[in-house]
Amino acid sequence: MSENNTMDISTDEKADALLNQLMRLKSYETPEAARMTRNKQNIMRQVRQAQSEQRKPLLDRLEISMPWLFAEPKYGIAALFIAFIGLQYAGINARNSTTSTGIYTTTSSLASYEAVANIQSNRYPNLPRDYQLFGQPQGDQTVVPAGFEFKK
Amino acid sequence: MVGDENLEPDDVPEEKGVLAGENDAAEQEGPSDDELVLKSQQGDVHAFDQLVERYHSKIYGLTYNMTSNREDAEDLTQEIFIKAFEALPRFKGNSSFYTWLYRIGVNKTINYRKKRNRKRALSLDSFDQDIKMDEAYHDLTAKGSPLRSISLSELQIKLNEALQNLSEKHRTVVVMHDMQGIPHDEIAKVVGASVGTVRSRLFYARRQMQAELSEFVK
Repeated sequence: MSENNTMDISTDEKADALLNQLMRLKSYETPEAARMTRNKQNIMRQVRQAQSEQRKPLLDRLEISMPWLFAEPKYGIAALFIAFIGLQYAGINARNSTTSTGIYTTTSSLASYEAVANIQSNRYPNLPRDYQLFGQPQGDQTVVPAGFEFKK
Repeated sequence: MVGDENLEPDDVPEEKGVLAGENDAAEQEGPSDDELVLKSQQGDVHAFDQLVERYHSKIYGLTYNMTSNREDAEDLTQEIFIKAFEALPRFKGNSSFYTWLYRIGVNKTINYRKKRNRKRALSLDSFDQDIKMDEAYHDLTAKGSPLRSISLSELQIKLNEALQNLSEKHRTVVVMHDMQGIPHDEIAKVVGASVGTVRSRLFYARRQMQAELSEFVK
């Protein structure tokens, strides 16, 4: 019995040792140097791309767009013309908004505020019910307002 | 993390610890990882370039052994470094850069495979000529060995097929431990499991590999 156990252990150990040797062979699988170099270059290219996609300062963005202006002159000139028209339009709007149309005068020629404020109301005054508006006509006299007198 | 259902590398937790190989990196000439990370966080692309140069082969090794497909491995390596660059501003330095990068690597590789939802054909890197100088190779091809009858390329295919037949979590621990030499406790930090779980997964994975390669491993 113990002999069998010993044999089993030695068989297991042998199998383990063989497996270790096989695993060791795998460490000799080596990639091609050129492929690895290319892979590293690809990594760094993507890293630089990822970095450049992050937020850029305005000057950097201008640096990118300026060469385009000179590379395609006709589009560049068109873009400048459109920018010029835009600026003109914006300028006109801004001037109009600050100097709007109207009648201008000095403050001395205007009615004072106090005078306007003194006008209490334009309402018809409250009068008694039997208030006489017109006088009683005498003979062939015309109807005249009460209190009216012909100048003699 | 690796054991979770939804593996998103966006919120990669930083756990304290260092991975095997980080000390090798520290021994490398030039500025330390921390300095390079700080410079990269300030927008120095050249500093990140140095980090890529330093860890590219390790990350490629991880992705290649996880997929047994060199095109996928190249794409994944690329994605992992890009992801790391984008997430770098959020990296607080609670763990080492290498541990953090490795965690992104493992999660991204598993997600990539899940999205594909099927096995890709093998596309293998060729063996280095130095293999013939290795003692293990001599033992395996010695007279009386079952491997003597098959060619090296056939052996390579069998080995990679056996590896790809493992589940994701089992293949992860095999690749990290047996192929990349990362200790159990450090694997545990990366995969978010206990050391016991890692040991158990490794034991099960090795048994399955032995069964797959039973014609050679006797």
